[in-house]
Parts: sequence; C-alpha cells; structure tokens
Amino acid sequence: MDHAGGRRPVAVGNGIFRRAGRAALAVWALASLLFLLSRWAPTSDAALGLTEPTEMQATAAETPGAHQLAQRAARQRLGLDVPLFYFSRPVAGPGQRPGWHWNGPRNQYHRWLGALLRGDLGTSFRDGQPVAARLATALLYTLPLTGTAAVLALAVALALAAGLARGPWWRRPALAALAGLQALPLFVLATGLLLLLANPDALNWFPTYEQAGAEDGLVALGACLLPLACLVLGAVPELALQLEASLAHEMRADYAVTARAKGLSVRRVVRRHALRNALLPVLPLVVDLLPALVAGAVVVETIFSLPGMGRLLAEAAATRDYPVLVGGVLLVGAARLLALLLADAGARWLDPRVS
Amino acid sequence: MVKLLLVSLLIVLLVSCSKRRTVEGQPVRILWTRDPESLDPLVTPNQSAIDANNLLHLCLLSVDYSTKRYAPALADSLPKVQFAGDSLTLVTYHLRPTATWDGGRPVLARDVAFTLKLMQVPGLPNEANKAQFGFIRDIRFDPTDPRRFTLVCNGQAPGLVQESGDFLILPEAALDPKGSLRPYQLGALNDRAATAPADSILVKLARRYARANLALYPGRIPGSGPYQLVRWDKDHLLRFQRKPHWWADALRPAPPVLEAQPSELDFVIIPNEASAALALRRGSVNVYPQVPVREFRRLQASAAARQQLAFYTSLSYDLVYAGFNTRRPALSNRLTRQALGFLFDPKALLLATQAGLGQCTVGLVHPTDTRNYADSLPPLALDPARAVALLRQAGWHRESTASDTFWTRQLAPKTPPQRLTLLVRYRAGETAFETIGLQFRAAAARLGIAVELRPTENASFSSALQAGDFDVYLRLLKGNPFYFNFAPILHSKTVGAGNLTGFGTPASDRLIEAIPLANTLDSRARLLRKFQRLMREEMPLVPLFFRPNCLAADRRLVHLYPGGLKPGYAAAAIKWTTPVVAVP
Repeated sequence: MDHAGGRRPVAVGNGIFRRAGRAALAVWALASLLFLLSRWAPTSDAALGLTEPTEMQATAAETPGAHQLAQRAARQRLGLDVPLFYFSRPVAGPGQRPGWHWNGPRNQYHRWLGALLRGDLGTSFRDGQPVAARLATALLYTLPLTGTAAVLALAVALALAAGLARGPWWRRPALAALAGLQALPLFVLATGLLLLLANPDALNWFPTYEQAGAEDGLVALGACLLPLACLVLGAVPELALQLEASLAHEMRADYAVTARAKGLSVRRVVRRHALRNALLPVLPLVVDLLPALVAGAVVVETIFSLPGMGRLLAEAAATRDYPVLVGGVLLVGAARLLALLLADAGARWLDPRVS
Repeated sequence: MVKLLLVSLLIVLLVSCSKRRTVEGQPVRILWTRDPESLDPLVTPNQSAIDANNLLHLCLLSVDYSTKRYAPALADSLPKVQFAGDSLTLVTYHLRPTATWDGGRPVLARDVAFTLKLMQVPGLPNEANKAQFGFIRDIRFDPTDPRRFTLVCNGQAPGLVQESGDFLILPEAALDPKGSLRPYQLGALNDRAATAPADSILVKLARRYARANLALYPGRIPGSGPYQLVRWDKDHLLRFQRKPHWWADALRPAPPVLEAQPSELDFVIIPNEASAALALRRGSVNVYPQVPVREFRRLQASAAARQQLAFYTSLSYDLVYAGFNTRRPALSNRLTRQALGFLFDPKALLLATQAGLGQCTVGLVHPTDTRNYADSLPPLALDPARAVALLRQAGWHRESTASDTFWTRQLAPKTPPQRLTLLVRYRAGETAFETIGLQFRAAAARLGIAVELRPTENASFSSALQAGDFDVYLRLLKGNPFYFNFAPILHSKTVGAGNLTGFGTPASDRLIEAIPLANTLDSRARLLRKFQRLMREEMPLVPLFFRPNCLAADRRLVHLYPGGLKPGYAAAAIKWTTPVVAVP
C-alpha cells in the first residue's frame, strides 16, 4: 500500500485545489446567469418602491405621466438605467439594420461583479438594507433550527435503520409508517401538527413562535419544538428507508454472513462492519442536507411564522427583490457545491477504493 | 444521555408553556401578514409600513376613522382655502402650539418646508412622494407666526386640500441642523431635471439621510407621533411603546385622530392564514384585520370562538374587476365588450367568493358614496340572451360544425374570418379570481366562445399585462373615498403603463382630466356619474364587486373603529374594556 512516497499529499492537495476552483467557477456561472436572467425581466413597481398604478387610484394631483417619471427616477437611483451587460442589441429603428452595441464597463453586470469581488452583495430593493446583513439575520433563525433538525434526523434515521436491520417484529409496520410519512407533503404535515398540537380546539400543548422572539430564550426554544419535529419527521423517512435498504443489502453480503457465522451478534455486525459500507449510497442524501440547512424550509417557516431564509427568499422572489434573491441563491449554490466536495471526500473516507 | 435530553426538552416545554403575561400594561397585539420592510418615512412599501409610520410621525391632517373624514392632526384646524387666478390654490395651515418633537423642540412651519423640500431632493428614495406632492409648488411663511404657513398648490381640485396635508412631517433640526435646504425654493427643486449636474449641498444631505438608515432605525430622528419603536424582529414582531409624556396628552378634549390608548402595541407577523386564525384563538394576537372570508366564516361558526371574539364586517374599497384588451381587434368594438360583460354573474360570484359579504357595483365608484355613485345605472347581471344579441349587432356570426360551435366575424373583405376566442389571465393561487374565470368560461362555453384560463405567477402577471399579452384580465383595484383620479388606469396617455386595457378616447380623456379639477363637489359628482355611464357604454372594464373587510378581535377590545378604509381599524384608539386576566 505504498502511495509513491511523498507525492500522495501533494496530489491530494492539487485535487482539492482543482475541485475548489471548479466549484468557485460553477458558483460564479450560476450567480451570473441568475443575475442576468433576473435583471432581464422588467422590475416591478413594488421593487422600485412605487405603488402600482393599477393597484391604487392615484391621488387628485397626480398627472398621467407622473408615474412613468417616478419609475424612471427610481430606476436611475437603483442603477437599473444603465445597460445590463457589456454588449447589447438595441431595437432597430425603421430602416435600420439591427446590430450589436458595445457598452463598455458601464453596465449593471460589471458593477455587480466588481461589488461581489469586494464582498458586497448589494442592497435590497425593498428596504435598502445590505443583502449580506439580511441573509445573516435570516440565517441566525434558520441554521440553529435546520442544523438541529438535520442532526436529529440523521441520528433517528441511523438508530431506526440499525434497529430495522435486526429484523424485529415491528419491521413491516415501521417501514409502512415511514413510507406513509414520506408520501405526506410537508405542508400537510406542518399544518397537521399545528392544528393538532397548538390548537385551543384540540390539544393546546405547544407554544408557537408568534408568542415569542429571539430574546425570549426558553419560550422561543419551546416554540421551535413543533417546527423542529416537522422538519425531523419530514427528513427521517427518506434517510431511514434508504439506509435500511442499504444495510439489508450489506447484511446479505459474504463478509457479514461470515461475521455472523463466527458468532458475532447482529448488532455488532451492523455497528462494526455493515454500517460504514451501507452509508456510502446514502451519503449524497446526507450531504444534501447542507444546502437545505442554508436554504431553510419555506413551508415550515411560513406555517410556523419563523423569519428564516426560506421565507426571505420566497418573498424576495415574489416581489422581485433581485439583489436578495441573487445573494440567497449564491449562498445556497455555494453550500451545494461545498456539499458536493464533502460528498466526494466522505465517499473516499468511507471507501478508499473510490478514486 | 437520552434521558437527560428528554428531561431537558420537557423542562423547556413546561417553562415555555407556563409563561404568564402580566396584567399591568397588557399590550394590544395586532396581526400583520407581512413585515413593513422599511420604516423610512419617505418610503412606504406596503400597508404595514404606512401604519407603523403613522404611529411614529404625524401629518397635518389625518383620517378620523369615526367619521371617515380628514381631521386636523398636527394642524390645529382644517386649512383655509383660497383660489388664486384660475390655476392655483392657496392652502393656509396653522400648527398646534403644543405640538413638539421628542425632546421638546416645537413643530414649526420650517419643519413642513424642510419635509416638502426633502421629498424633492435627488438621490433619495422619494420618487413616489415626488409624483404625489409635486403639485405643492411653494410654501409661504407668516413672518409674525412661525407656526402659520401657506402652501401654494397647482390646480383647484377639492381633493388637493386634503392631499396637501397628508404627508408625514419630519424634523429639520435632526436631519438638516444647519438648515442647508433653506435657501432652495421648493418649485426649483421640483423642476430640477434628472440630468442636472450634481449639487454638492443636496448630495451631502442625501448622504446624511442615507447614513441615518431610518428604514431600519426610525428612532434615530425624533417623531411627533405618540409611539416609539422599541423592538423590531424582522418578519416576526414590531413593538411600539407609548411615550410617557406626549404633547397631545395636554389637549382637552382629545381629538379622535390624536388618541393613543394602548401603552404598548405589538404587531405580530404571521403570513399563513390558518396559523393566524389559531394565533387569534390562542390569544397570541388580539386583532386580526382583513381576515380571509373563508377563515372568517370558519371562526364565526365556532361556538368557542364566538365566546372569545367579536366579528366586524364593512365594505372595503378593493374592487374586483375584469379588464378587456381593447387593442385586440376582436375587443376593440364596444358592443363585443358589452356582450362579454353580460357573461359575468357578479351576484353569484360575490356569494361564491366572498360568502355574500361585500357589494356589487355598477362602476368604479364605491356604492356607499351616494353623492357620486351612478345609481341610475342598472346593475350588471348574467344575461346570455343579451350577450348573443350584442355579439350579432357587433357583426359576429355563430357557426357550427359537427363537433364545435364558434363565433366568427369578417374584419375586412377578402381576409379570413376572425374567430372569437379569449385568453383570461389572473394571478395564480387566488381562488376568487379562479372562480370568476371558471364562471366566465362556463357562461362563454354555453354560447360557443372558447375561453382559455391562464393563471400567471405574480411577478410575470404584471409584465404580461403591460405587454398586452391577454384578452381579459381579472384583478383588484385598491381605492379610497377621497380621490377620483382615473388617469393612471384609463387615460390614453398611460396606455402601456398603468392603462392595461389600452382604452382611451378624446371624450373619456377629457372627462378623466376634468374630474380631479372640478372645483365643487356637485360638479365633480355630475362628472363622476357621467364617467360611470361612459364606462358602462364603452366597457373597457367590468366592475364586479367591492370586497368586504372582515375583522376579528378579542371581545374585550373596544374603539376599534372597523371600516373599509385601510387598515380597517384604528390601532392607536383601541382600548381594553375589562381588566385583563393572566392568559396561559
């Protein structure tokens, strides 16, 4: 098992560097594409801080052209009046041939990229706040919740799968229950938990988040129990079912049969031999939890009134608050690429034969 | 380890569930469906922001929810109005002598002038204000009284007077301590071209204003309103505390617009309607405004909820209507539009979508506005026979094949006949509009008109309408009882912007322009009635019904002043009737 002397660490280092470079390139491409596509679509009045003329009867003094003037001024203030990219294809006038026009560095993309390289994600159209600050605030709510949920879901799934691998009498009903739970849409699960366990007409056992705030400590923690339960119940079935199937496959392998024949208990075979191998196919599911941690859970955050990332991004999309949307997608994209890197590293750790 | 974890969870649960509220200083907790996003007084992105800002700052005039009229707030009385020539109105205000900013500095005419100028300073997010208050051309001070001033307004419409007092007054001393804006004339700032070279003083002022970041920290400037923001958890909770010594406390009798009863007002943000109804039932919130009709009926049906809650309904100013794309050849003819108008069933739709609450209407004017509402017009009703007659009159012919029935019309000789098919757009996810679309499609199908319903994602919806990619659209028009300016939605100059129907004739344009300029209420009423008749004749829009405003609140709360005007209640006037007992 000689790895060509000292060359192995260098090769690994180069490999990681190459992968990180590719990941960074992919994040840049993703963010650029999203930026260009989002800015290509017309900006809504709400994003410009204006009332839509079709939504509100104008006041007595507003002239017919006043709204257009206001739109123009707002676009100018937000830097949306300059061309989108380095080149554009202006609409040709009558008798003119359409052609490409070079805009130079005075374009929205150039400004955005320059700011991004300086670590500036821009400011929200809606409230004028730095996007980074908005994302950070939302992550403060989201990460503890989704992080705890991910750890708990993983622990429960591992315990369940290990238990099921021993072939207990409750294996079939448990698998059926897990499959049923997996088929349940998250919003049904969340609403069901809320209506059942935080309802004066049913069981009013749990506090909800609207009764508390971040500074309310234990109350806020208690208020997170239902969303946490919802996220765990939403994530466990898939993990547990996959892991159980993988473990069952491993338990039929020769090495596991040999270990049983040598007198090792099923529990010991699972823990010491089969589990590590069984984790390999489940690894993509596990690392997929990382971007989900960052993105939050829109449904759960909306139903339980939690001010997290999921809600922030959903509302930014609905109101076309592009800077927040692009910043959020950039963050989630980066988390996903990091997850892929981790999946690679994890796969290599679990099975050194993986190249 | 597992046991320890379970015990910890149990403790957390018990502690959190057993939290008791104090009886003293019980706040009034009001539900909002969305965060205000910005508390910058120059930017009001949504209704929550307007409501929050109205607690921090005051206008010269405010709406008195008990009478639904404008009443003096910072001004000590309604303004004196004088017409100058045939195009100017002079509106003279006097500020209340007791009105002060936090810290005791008096509110003076200088502050009003500063605010008006600030609304015109380039580089600030004041575009909406510019459009709305650009008609105030100048402010004249009274040399003998620092609280008296006259606003010189363009135009002589009755609505100008109310509008001239409907903006939040900001303190000059806090935002421009050196008075750098004083030398600037309001009219000159107003007329300043967007391409004008940068003025260093204005740039400096804009930077200072931006640095204050009032959008997030409104408390950085003193206010003249009764409350201060003490907590803001974004997308979750805003807490306003009553100032212990507010200048208006000394006024006897206290004017209704300057009432500030709750010692603390909490606005809890719950976007989901089922969660919101549960929060109301649990007592986590005390007031739930604009309850969706379905939830409202569900709550009303519950005996336990009836014991705990009071229910209020009023007629809102939100009009549900259908619009035709008059630029499409098939819909450019008013007889065709009239025919299609008879395929809507407003009464049945009101029942199906609003549980019968709300009210059908003949036009864009609110039915409770008896002076201006065109009550001589018959209400629109489903009438397929009349629709058929009008379609024939418009030149359409019904044709049938073995499998299909359709309507065609020859637009020009030697051209293929045009077939009547309609694309209906509405916002996806809005069940009321979906129901309207389905009813219209069913009625049209019975006549042989093919209708495609296309629910469209919120952001794409506006773009599709502005691009004219529709035949019929279903939408909400938010109105108010004070202003009648239909130019942004129906004037020919706004086609491609707010006028989505593409409608506009010289006669309708003249009428739309004349309504806001009418200088008496009677002449305005005549014009408005004429306008409604014209709209019925031309039918670019089919006004269907005004939605109800449903409000549910804790029974022990009084002085809510529920009404159709947004937000539908008077937050600062709300009072607890009986001593509040601790709520688990």
